[in-house]
Amino acid sequence: MKRRIELGLLYSRSGSYSLISEACRAGALSAIASVNSDPSIDVCFVPVERDPGGNIDLYGPMCEEILRDTSARHVIGCVTSWSRKEVIPILERAGGTLWYAVPYEGFEASDHVVYMHACPNQHLLPLLNWTFPIYGRRAYLTGSNYIWGWEMNRLARETITAAGGSVLGERYLSIGSLEIGRMIEEIQVTQPDFILNSLIGPSSYEFLAAYSKLGQSHSAFLPDNCPVLSCNLTECELPALGQFSEGLVAAGPYFRGETDWPGFEDFGSSHEAAAYAAVKELARLLSSSDAMDTVSLAQLLTDPVASIGPIDRKTHHTTLPRLIAQVRNGTFQVLHRGSAVAGDPYLAKPRESPGYDQKHLRVVL
Amino acid sequence: MKSAIRIENLGGARAIILHRPHVTVQALSRQLSAVGLNVTSCWPELGPDALAADFIFFDADLGYDEQFPWAPGQSPIPMIALIGSEAPGRVEWSLWMGAHAQILKPVGDSGAYSALLIARHTFDSRRRLSTEVEGLQKRLDERQTVIRAVTLLAIRTRSEETAYAQLRQLAMSWRISFEAAAARVVARYGEERGEDDRRSGL
Repeated sequence: MKRRIELGLLYSRSGSYSLISEACRAGALSAIASVNSDPSIDVCFVPVERDPGGNIDLYGPMCEEILRDTSARHVIGCVTSWSRKEVIPILERAGGTLWYAVPYEGFEASDHVVYMHACPNQHLLPLLNWTFPIYGRRAYLTGSNYIWGWEMNRLARETITAAGGSVLGERYLSIGSLEIGRMIEEIQVTQPDFILNSLIGPSSYEFLAAYSKLGQSHSAFLPDNCPVLSCNLTECELPALGQFSEGLVAAGPYFRGETDWPGFEDFGSSHEAAAYAAVKELARLLSSSDAMDTVSLAQLLTDPVASIGPIDRKTHHTTLPRLIAQVRNGTFQVLHRGSAVAGDPYLAKPRESPGYDQKHLRVVL
Repeated sequence: MKSAIRIENLGGARAIILHRPHVTVQALSRQLSAVGLNVTSCWPELGPDALAADFIFFDADLGYDEQFPWAPGQSPIPMIALIGSEAPGRVEWSLWMGAHAQILKPVGDSGAYSALLIARHTFDSRRRLSTEVEGLQKRLDERQTVIRAVTLLAIRTRSEETAYAQLRQLAMSWRISFEAAAARVVARYGEERGEDDRRSGL
């Protein structure tokens, strides 16, 4: 007889990043269905859903509602880092756990969050290291005007400069803004080797469409000469981009068709895959004993069952493959497969050499 | 060196919280009111009354340079950063704006009082140090003038030592600082010397 366990879902089904929310939600629901129909797992999840509708001020109260009004202790949810940071105080007070299935900028290791998707040592750093020898080290940086864009570009600038490269421009747009004209003009004037795009939602779609058109009239801006790189674009947003996604290079732990994802299924995107893995791992941890239903994440992870799972007990981050893929004929094709590494949120471990050339090394006396 | 911390005059002091409407503002206002401060909050820009405030609490997560009516690092009053995200970029920006202390978000029932004291102490000692550095810098710049004055005087006295003593004597009789006397000597004799040089065809 399966134990019924309520499980919170906190995804915005409308608003500027709803495609990502829907992908995560689909992954979570598909895993819930898989858990519920699996007789070897002792638990059965009952989803408790709240939809903040893309309104940042609703995440805290809705998360509180789930943890207060239902028996759910675990919540799968949040897309932006901003919303994740809004719910952390609530989780701390209520002793709840957030399972976060989206890439983020690192520098966080909450005792109440499991980070199921990649952080910079798993996306941005391998992406730049792969890019430098192929395209060069002169970059243009774009981003949405909040912590994801700011921190990605700060780290990119640091990495590019340390490798002897240069940042030719850096510009931000508020979430939802379509004012991409100035960025395109600056790119045209500065002619970088590559563009790092950390815009999200409609800003990103507008930018990629305009840049693709620029490439049609100036070959210097075709993907072969000056590609757009991203650590947040996955298959789930390709429908919004259509032909303009062609040539886009992205880093991520999974792309459609890859087979080395734990508990392999054919996922639509890494967001879906990460949310799926989150629910499945939670079910595995809870399944060991009914005493697990109400314990904190920290206690859950001290159980011997947890040690064979993907979650690091100290950082709550996961070990993930580092893939680099490019959109070719409408689908992501993996160009490079980096071995799986543990998430290192504070970049405290020695970094891999980003393929420095001798000529870029300077002796500093 | 240990220096005593000032705990007086917080009652009635004016604090402005630069943060969008949020539970953080409520929690912080409560703490500050309990200490005895008058608290107002605003977002996204500090009004002109910021210049009359005694403390500014500012949001490190969503803040930007243009919110402040002064240049980064030039605040005329103690500034306390409200840090939610510990991302290095945000910490760097808080330092760039000139944070004198910090409080981590979420703000609970404590933390504001020690932040007030630390911010005021850091602000005071930073200001004292920069005044000191300014004075030293000025004297360093004037050293060049002193050397020129001594060199000019030495042409007449035939020795640097006596020239130095003469400059000291001049400063005393003119009742001005050594450096100011040197500037006067350079202005006077330097000009004559320049004319001599021109006459001799140098």
